Amino acid sequence: MWQTLRERGLSYLIVGPFAIVLAFPFYWMLVTAFKTNGDLYNLDNVPFTYHPAEAALGEKLPFRQQHWLPLGFEHATPSHVSFIFNDTNYTRWIENTAVVGGLVVLITLLLAVPAGYSLARLSGRWGQNVGVGIFLTYLVPPTLLFLPLSRVISKLGLQDRLWSLVLVYPSFTIPFATWLLMGFFRTIPLELEDAALIDGCSRLKALARVIFPISIPGILTVVIFSFSLCVNEFVYAITFISGTKQHTISAGVPTDLIRGDVYFWQSLMAATLIPSIPLALLYNSFLNRFIAGFTGGAFR
Amino acid sequence: MAENDDGLEELGLSQSLTRRQVIRRGLGGFLIVYGGALPKAAAAASPKFRRQQYKNTLKIIQWSHFVPAYDVWFDKTYTKNWGDKHDTDVQVDHIALAQLPARAQAEVAAQGGHDIFGHLSPQAGLEDQVINHKEIIQEVTHKVGKISELGFHSCYNPKTKKWHGFPDNYVPDPIHFRKDLWKQVGVKPSTWEDVRKAAPKLKALGHPVGLGMSNELDSNMLLIALMQCYGAFIQDKNARVAINSKHTIEALKVMRDIFKSGMTNEVFAWTAASNNQGYLSGRLALAVNAISIARTAEDSNPTLAKNTGIAPIPRGPVQRLGLEHVMGVYTVWKFTKNKTLAKRFIADLEINYQGAFKNSKYYNFPAFKGAVHNYKKQLLSDTHTPKGKYGVLDLIANKYTTNLGYPGFSNAAIDEIFNTWLIPQMFAEVAQGKMTPAEAAKAAEHDAKRIFAKWRSRGKI
Repeated sequence: MWQTLRERGLSYLIVGPFAIVLAFPFYWMLVTAFKTNGDLYNLDNVPFTYHPAEAALGEKLPFRQQHWLPLGFEHATPSHVSFIFNDTNYTRWIENTAVVGGLVVLITLLLAVPAGYSLARLSGRWGQNVGVGIFLTYLVPPTLLFLPLSRVISKLGLQDRLWSLVLVYPSFTIPFATWLLMGFFRTIPLELEDAALIDGCSRLKALARVIFPISIPGILTVVIFSFSLCVNEFVYAITFISGTKQHTISAGVPTDLIRGDVYFWQSLMAATLIPSIPLALLYNSFLNRFIAGFTGGAFR
Repeated sequence: MAENDDGLEELGLSQSLTRRQVIRRGLGGFLIVYGGALPKAAAAASPKFRRQQYKNTLKIIQWSHFVPAYDVWFDKTYTKNWGDKHDTDVQVDHIALAQLPARAQAEVAAQGGHDIFGHLSPQAGLEDQVINHKEIIQEVTHKVGKISELGFHSCYNPKTKKWHGFPDNYVPDPIHFRKDLWKQVGVKPSTWEDVRKAAPKLKALGHPVGLGMSNELDSNMLLIALMQCYGAFIQDKNARVAINSKHTIEALKVMRDIFKSGMTNEVFAWTAASNNQGYLSGRLALAVNAISIARTAEDSNPTLAKNTGIAPIPRGPVQRLGLEHVMGVYTVWKFTKNKTLAKRFIADLEINYQGAFKNSKYYNFPAFKGAVHNYKKQLLSDTHTPKGKYGVLDLIANKYTTNLGYPGFSNAAIDEIFNTWLIPQMFAEVAQGKMTPAEAAKAAEHDAKRIFAKWRSRGKI
């Protein structure tokens, strides 16, 4: 028992500081989201707790009488958080991001899974080179491509439509996904497929019944990464879509919450923290499989 | 399989749940949180519904004004009323200030986009992509009187005789200073020599002056204004490069001295918001910026706002002469199909500029002085304490504000020099000791001449 406790204690001692360092920015964002302007801009105040300050225009202090609240929360204001829900199209941006992300992930899977499998299994020696070549297209930065792609989008009549992003985003998710899945498919023993083929399965049936179920970790990795890439993408989102109701989060938040040289810090923190939480929960729920997906290609 | 369920136990989920159930529930929860249902996909991706009763559509893009109330007034009141009168659905999109140039280039590349593009500086470099805005200038001149010299020199190309933009408004660029701190050191920021003397004392108090030397808008404007106060200019009135002069060297020396004695290294990495944030946090004793600092202080820190003085740019040995902080310029693309409507909109906005002036909290000054009546009286009547502090903006606007490229026009070469941060880099090299003032001025002259030669060969200068 003592040994178990000692081992656990040692694990927490090593992992604990890392966890604190990595989680701390999120804590800071959370605290900042509820700060009053007077508290936030006062350099004498500790930024990680709340302090009394004069309420600025539009700031409500509903917790003022609740002295039992920790961290001085009675001096906090929910006004800046409610601002993004009441006075901006924030919920619409989240919906748009989910829609675009979902569709792009679907397109990516439809194209990258067969591509990755073909390059891993059926292409021989040159398959590896083609795979690297496909991955290299991922490295071309959007800052080089957004101008010519603007013309393409305009010709297709997709300006200011979410379909412009659904069309363009796979240009960087598919190369990355193909390369990732190539490595993963190579870790699956050939004997499994051979056994399925010997038992009478066609190539497609072997793929669907044997390979894909085993490939769930890799596919989940592709899903999560592709979705993250879509949520974080900024250049195309700001270039192809100008209407505030059509924005995704990455474009809408800086457009509406950074006005000239004035940053609405509290609202910015809230706006960026809120969508991070589901993503973090998703990563956490599938953590084991996510790690298996990434490291699967490393052991071949 | 059992070891794969360890994760489930840690999540507090029952062991009886299968992997499939967990995945289903996780995805379902994800979808609910993000709300990405298919009907919303169709609605979000479909074209905007056009109101049946409007015959026309007019699309405008401009920056997200630092006064949110201005955008609310513009989008929901002014354009709606104008649209009703002209049977037009006016659609206004907003974009962050920093993204304006990239967006403009994207629309040029796409040969499609908005009918009216609202820039925040003269766009001489886009002259070939836009119409001649002469008609609008003439229309507004007939109604409210002559355009200001500032507007004329900002948007007119004397070589091609073309108005490459319509100057809608400009923003005076005062200094903001902490009255209490400057009183403590016994100096007023009236001249650059005063600033040079006070800088080390203020830094010793823990409140340095905030004069940026970074690749951003505020640094660019401040440093060019400083040069002008010392009689230094990028070009002369005939568009010949004039930057390598003893006046430029003097200006470089002063800024180097101020930096060494009174500032910190952070000024080399500033963004457009850094001087605002530094001042509003109570740290900086002086900043050169439009009244967004003062207006934000009124909302966020009334004590600081009361202690903030607003004054014209400090005087140099030659003169006191600043620049506009930003200049609102509307352009109509050549490719737009709504040219007539776009010109009408721009003209009407300028002719009736009182609403814009007031709703911008006096940030936007009309390029046509006659477009707003008695704006000094309005400035003086602002209720924020100390009362009347904004009255000085009238003096700054009338006497101490000039165009980028003064004494010449804001041409494409000046535009490129401005957008490639030649001036902040010149000052930064000297302040950091990498070059002497003479070397830096010479290097800047070399770069400027190359840029001027390029645009001259294109027939734009």
